[in-house]
Amino acid sequence: MRSRSDRFSFIELLIFAAVAFAVLCLCVCIGSVSISLADTLSVLWDGVKYQAGWTSAAPEGLQASIILSVRLPRVLCVAMTGAALALAGGAMQGLLKNPLADGSTLGVSSGAALGAVIAIALGIRFPGLPFAGTMVMAIVFAFLSLVLILTLAYRLDYSLATNTIILIGVIFSMFVSSLMNIIVTFAADRIQNITFWTMGSLQGASYQNALVLLGVLVIFGGIILRRAQELNAFAVSEDNARHIGVDVRRVKLVILITVSALIGVCVSIGGSIGFVGLVTPHIVRMLVGPNHRRLLPASLFGGAVFLMLADLAARTLLSPIELPIGVVTSLVGAVMFVVIFYRSRRRG
Amino acid sequence: MKHNKFLTAIIAVLLSCTLAACGGQAGTRQTTAVTEAVTKETTVAAAETTTEEVSEVAAEETAAEITETKTEVSEEASEADGASGEVSGPVTVTDMLGREVTLEEPATRVVALTASDCEILYAIGAGDMLVGRGTYCDYPAEVLDVPEVQSGSETNIEEILALEPQLLIMSTMSQTEEQAAQLEAAGVQVVISDAQDIAGVYTAIEMIGKLMGKEENAAEVIESMKTTFAEIEEKSGGDGSQSIYFEVSPLEYGLYTAGAHTFMDEVANMLGLKNCFADVEGWSAISEEQVLERNPDYILTITLYYGEGPTPEEEILGRAGWENVTAVKNKAILNLVDNELSRPAPRLADGAKMLFDFVYGEGAE
Amino acid sequence: MLQVNDLTVRYGDLTIVDHLNFTVEEGQWLMVAGPNGAGKSTMLNAVTQGTVYTGQVLFEGENMKKKKAAERARCVGVLMQNHFAEYAFSVEEVVALGRYSHAPGMRSRSRWYAGSDIGRGGGDDRAVEDALALTGMISQRKQSILTLSGGELQRTFLAQVFAQNPKLLLLDEPTNHLDLVYQKQVFELISQWLQTPGRAVISVVHDLSLAKAYGTKALLMNHGRAVACGSAEEILVSQYLDSVYRMDVAGWMRQMLGQWTE
Repeated sequence: MRSRSDRFSFIELLIFAAVAFAVLCLCVCIGSVSISLADTLSVLWDGVKYQAGWTSAAPEGLQASIILSVRLPRVLCVAMTGAALALAGGAMQGLLKNPLADGSTLGVSSGAALGAVIAIALGIRFPGLPFAGTMVMAIVFAFLSLVLILTLAYRLDYSLATNTIILIGVIFSMFVSSLMNIIVTFAADRIQNITFWTMGSLQGASYQNALVLLGVLVIFGGIILRRAQELNAFAVSEDNARHIGVDVRRVKLVILITVSALIGVCVSIGGSIGFVGLVTPHIVRMLVGPNHRRLLPASLFGGAVFLMLADLAARTLLSPIELPIGVVTSLVGAVMFVVIFYRSRRRG
Repeated sequence: MKHNKFLTAIIAVLLSCTLAACGGQAGTRQTTAVTEAVTKETTVAAAETTTEEVSEVAAEETAAEITETKTEVSEEASEADGASGEVSGPVTVTDMLGREVTLEEPATRVVALTASDCEILYAIGAGDMLVGRGTYCDYPAEVLDVPEVQSGSETNIEEILALEPQLLIMSTMSQTEEQAAQLEAAGVQVVISDAQDIAGVYTAIEMIGKLMGKEENAAEVIESMKTTFAEIEEKSGGDGSQSIYFEVSPLEYGLYTAGAHTFMDEVANMLGLKNCFADVEGWSAISEEQVLERNPDYILTITLYYGEGPTPEEEILGRAGWENVTAVKNKAILNLVDNELSRPAPRLADGAKMLFDFVYGEGAE
Repeated sequence: MLQVNDLTVRYGDLTIVDHLNFTVEEGQWLMVAGPNGAGKSTMLNAVTQGTVYTGQVLFEGENMKKKKAAERARCVGVLMQNHFAEYAFSVEEVVALGRYSHAPGMRSRSRWYAGSDIGRGGGDDRAVEDALALTGMISQRKQSILTLSGGELQRTFLAQVFAQNPKLLLLDEPTNHLDLVYQKQVFELISQWLQTPGRAVISVVHDLSLAKAYGTKALLMNHGRAVACGSAEEILVSQYLDSVYRMDVAGWMRQMLGQWTE
């Protein structure tokens, strides 16, 4: 009878998770300062023992500091940021039936960044929650940008052709960058903060950040994963989705809010990191096919792996100098972008 | 100046690896061209200025080569100015791009685009002749009353011409030649001031002093800087066993440090301190792990404090994993917030003194 | 089964569908004909709630507007004229999407098929299997839809709507760009599907011969209005057609066919 290949099988899950875990270990073991594998493992083991309460001696020393306080939280944040961005990208590509749709190509990340910059410029802070101001503003602006972009796009071209998507993305990004310049002019005293913020950095990521990301990933990632079948329908065509009984408006709204939340949180923690959401689902689609029941969970792991490796390159290639992570992802992403664009143009 | 430099440094890193970065950085795209120009031109400028114009300062290095030109310059100077030091005839200088600039007489209306040149003008007592300033000029406080003009990539010729200056002092940038030609056609002389090291700062002060007819004051300022530097260099007696880490950008935005060939590095050497990141060129993004491993004895941060949240010192003290760093253990962190050590201006001496006091002064152990 | 009362669709000042009334009963195949721009497709869109309209669309006496999306899809299925595939879904995956309204989201799949309980998810599997078999797509079930010909793609979506198993099937020029073989195939398949009691079909057609051959009922539209509505034999005659198309329709058809007599 009908094969069950439309589900992410347990074995596939195991393979993807194992690869992601292996890469995570690799990224914790390798860094700007070289620490042997044995030392890394022993430090990690000490950390586990201490956290579990088996010993009261907290791990100490340079190596413990580097691994437990610097590398591990950073790698965790990077992994989850990658996972969230890839999931958001995968959902957008399905929803809009366009393989070039993504937070960075559409300009949603720029929108989120604008929100965060406004929060910095106006000094919007919630008492007790140092990051909440930028985060909330980033999410709100990500959503507003998405709504604005899509309204514009649908007005111009209902079928959302690839060219339209790119055009709108470019126009919107330019618009946002001019708004940013205006803000920078008015908030000249905070220009240093703003300049560095837009560069984006996952340096100094803490376990607290990792927890926030985990929470967001579980809640919003969960919502997207549960909408896999609807996304399949959208990926076939939006009209078809309506005809087979998908509540098109509601599902669209849910996905857009969810994607905004994922992108907003990632941007507020790590700055705008481009192309992860574009490239990962694309590569993953080649491996597991376009069915979102398989594509989305695979993208989750794929995004984590992609960004962890990009971060590893950023950290170690020019040591002690560190590259902005966005540089590495953009480098890979821009090439991919051209390949995808070329292919879709040729087919269209 | 500081921010331009900031961007320049960052973009230099970006540029080297991201010709492909499509998203987000569109706004800074223009400046990438600037960076290239800056790096290229300054090397040329440095070479040329030393041979033609700099007298005492660079003498140690290039004494043999410049003897000839030096005499030429001083002869010319003594012919022109006489005993008073106030020059009234035509003034000719070679600016820091190697261009020869002649003024009919010393300038009385001047526009300066960089913060450091504004500082120099005030230091030599020519502050009242400043009729326009660049966006980021903020020291001394009086400079804020001077009309602001766009600087950097947004430099606006009309805006500058409207102020009717005789002289425009600016730093190197890609549009320099075109802009200079346009301005010169409109009767405004353009000189380029672009110091890359302390010797360069002396050159700039001397050049501006001559242009403004304040040669004596300029010489005094230079002398005072030299005295301060010599004093702290002698008193410090450091042997390079203690290290210092300069933090230009905090962890939250990604660590940046000042490596070799920066003013901070030069001052550290003067004080007998070892710059932790002397192996890095200019202002550079660096890895957090490396700071922990290199374990500095002192930390100097130039992060600004906006009166909310932890102060920059507190923030560094509270960083996870930094508790074993010697500077953090000893709370040996200094926060300089007025660009004392990041601008090629007379206040470098003040900054050096502050660092000296912090490391070797009363409070230090 | 379907009752359309006073249906009007306006885009700004433009009236696309103008106070339209008609009904479709079980077992009927309603052919909607008329020149381009008569408002035929817009009318279908209004029936599936794909556009804003005034008036009423009642399905078995219930207002379609009040039904939830999935419930609506169990009543009315649609086969469109064109399909533009972007991603390499398999034929099977596209057909399986037809079952969405029977078990929306990630909830357990339908046990029911043709009125009997055949175990967890069995209903979906059987429906997909039958639809693939009926449309002759079984051998290509694993094939990517990007590699299908126009006719195969149309059959895939026909299989999807069969798997959806609605009571009323709406077709918007379903064979417009298909060659004769597929045209015949698709109309035969739909005609066969209609044999089961409790079903009805509405299709927009340009080919009046097809309309006459398969239709039991016809609705002739022009400028958004119903020119005539009734049994296919009564409506698809020169009296109405000539005025709507402003030409001698039957004469033209005879002339065309005349070329084939030997």
